[in-house]
Amino acid sequence: MNISPRRDHQDLLRAGLGHALNLGLPLLFVVIPILSFVAVSFWTLQDGQILLIPTLANYRAFFTEGSYLPVYLQTVGLSLQVTLVNVALSTAIALFIFRRTPRMRFLILMSFMLPLFMSYIIKVYSIRSILGQRGLLNEAMLGLGLIDQPIEALLFSRTAIFIALAVLYLPYAILPIYLALDRIPANYLAACADLGATPLQTLRDVVLPLGRPGIAAGAVFTFILTFGDFVTPQMVGGTQGFTFGRIVFSQFGLALNWPLGSALAVILLATTLLAVALAGLSLRREHVR
Amino acid sequence: MKQKAPCLDALLGLVAGLGLIALYAPLLATAALSFFQIVRVRGTLGFAPFSLDPYVALLANGEILSALSTSLVVATVSSLLALVLALMFAFYFVSARRGLGIAMQIMVFLPFLLPPIITGLSLLIAFREIDLGRGLVTIIIAHVVFIVPVVYRTVLVRLQLLGSSLTEASLDLGASRVQTLRYVVLPQMRPALISGALLAFAISFDETLITLFVAGSETTLPIRLWAMMRVGFVPEINALATLIFLCTAAITFAIGLMQRAGERV
Repeated sequence: MNISPRRDHQDLLRAGLGHALNLGLPLLFVVIPILSFVAVSFWTLQDGQILLIPTLANYRAFFTEGSYLPVYLQTVGLSLQVTLVNVALSTAIALFIFRRTPRMRFLILMSFMLPLFMSYIIKVYSIRSILGQRGLLNEAMLGLGLIDQPIEALLFSRTAIFIALAVLYLPYAILPIYLALDRIPANYLAACADLGATPLQTLRDVVLPLGRPGIAAGAVFTFILTFGDFVTPQMVGGTQGFTFGRIVFSQFGLALNWPLGSALAVILLATTLLAVALAGLSLRREHVR
Repeated sequence: MKQKAPCLDALLGLVAGLGLIALYAPLLATAALSFFQIVRVRGTLGFAPFSLDPYVALLANGEILSALSTSLVVATVSSLLALVLALMFAFYFVSARRGLGIAMQIMVFLPFLLPPIITGLSLLIAFREIDLGRGLVTIIIAHVVFIVPVVYRTVLVRLQLLGSSLTEASLDLGASRVQTLRYVVLPQMRPALISGALLAFAISFDETLITLFVAGSETTLPIRLWAMMRVGFVPEINALATLIFLCTAAITFAIGLMQRAGERV
């Protein structure tokens, strides 16, 4: 098979086609849509028409108008709260799995991951029916005589959103933390024991530091997912639960203000990128030390 | 390898137990209510005796069934498309110049790393710009964009594990590229391809947040359920949820077995 001009030509054509498909398709379906949504955030909305007049008014609206900024801050607070609680719980759960025998580990991990495959929307619905004023939780507590009156605040409140988000997104934090622990070589732990460390010392000085990348990843996943979720707050939060994600979504639905919605979405995106950057930074600092 | 620490284990076990209860309570409540409906007799609450009425009603609920069939079509088509694309991207990554491969990979992973709301609205805006009306096509495109990273990841790991010696041997022995792909590479990738496609199917079948942006008048199952739940309680939903859970549990179990088999090969 010597190099013939025809074959050479064919190879070149094939390589060109390969680049065009493999770089072109992601460019077309991922990068350009993202760029176009960022672009729309700078356009002007006038009488329901999107005009190609560049403006910063949509961003100004975020800081000055109505309740955008307060709702944004509340949502960041809520997401951070869920992240904190879920990462703490997930670390404990991951440690629990980690301390089982290898055979048991897979089974237990799977049982924590299985709810992930149950329909998201049905889980939200079910959580709602558990928390409702006439829901299972209230009825159970009434039946047991723990309370005299159903607790109304369980559903359609910030607490309800908190509980629902925490339950829905728990597996997303468990998995990365467990995978990080799973990578710790067994002889490290044996060495700890040989050198006389107590289990708690081993945990504090070896296991948890080595698990940090997983903990950071779990925190970032939880924050991104809870911050961007707009269906859960609507389903269990009612009118009380107006989160930032819901405001963004409503701009593309009823309110129909795409430029404002895009600007708010850019802020949402920037916030999640900031979360990723902070997590990365905290890992790097640890590395240097 | 583990040191004994009964107190620590008891504490961790307690948290894990509570975690499992919280995770499974929604699933179990749904399943229980699908067989034993809550009835209220003069203000006091009770459970109706075991019945399969919600399941019977489900079979007669045209709205749910048509949304279910839309979802099955969307999930099947988009996971097959994602499989083909993921294979193509994975081959590109191992054969193209490193920089180009990484550029491609970053672009492919983006929709999975960004919050779904961002992926959803950017596709919505892009579709409007090219005047593509919202419907089945836009839903499928959005799902493919979202699930390709998952399949790509599974396929790439397997492909890199394979190495290039077998492929080179096949080409040296005179097989064409297509023959090598067909008879050497693909058979060895089968576990990864199947588990990747199943995972993609499960994700597509359940996708809600992105679909809400691009669905238009076409409704997949999660969107239809979302619309129904906003109005009120429909017992059929519990029945459907139970059936779906059993199916997804079976699929998950199959994926688990498949991946273990894949590791052993």
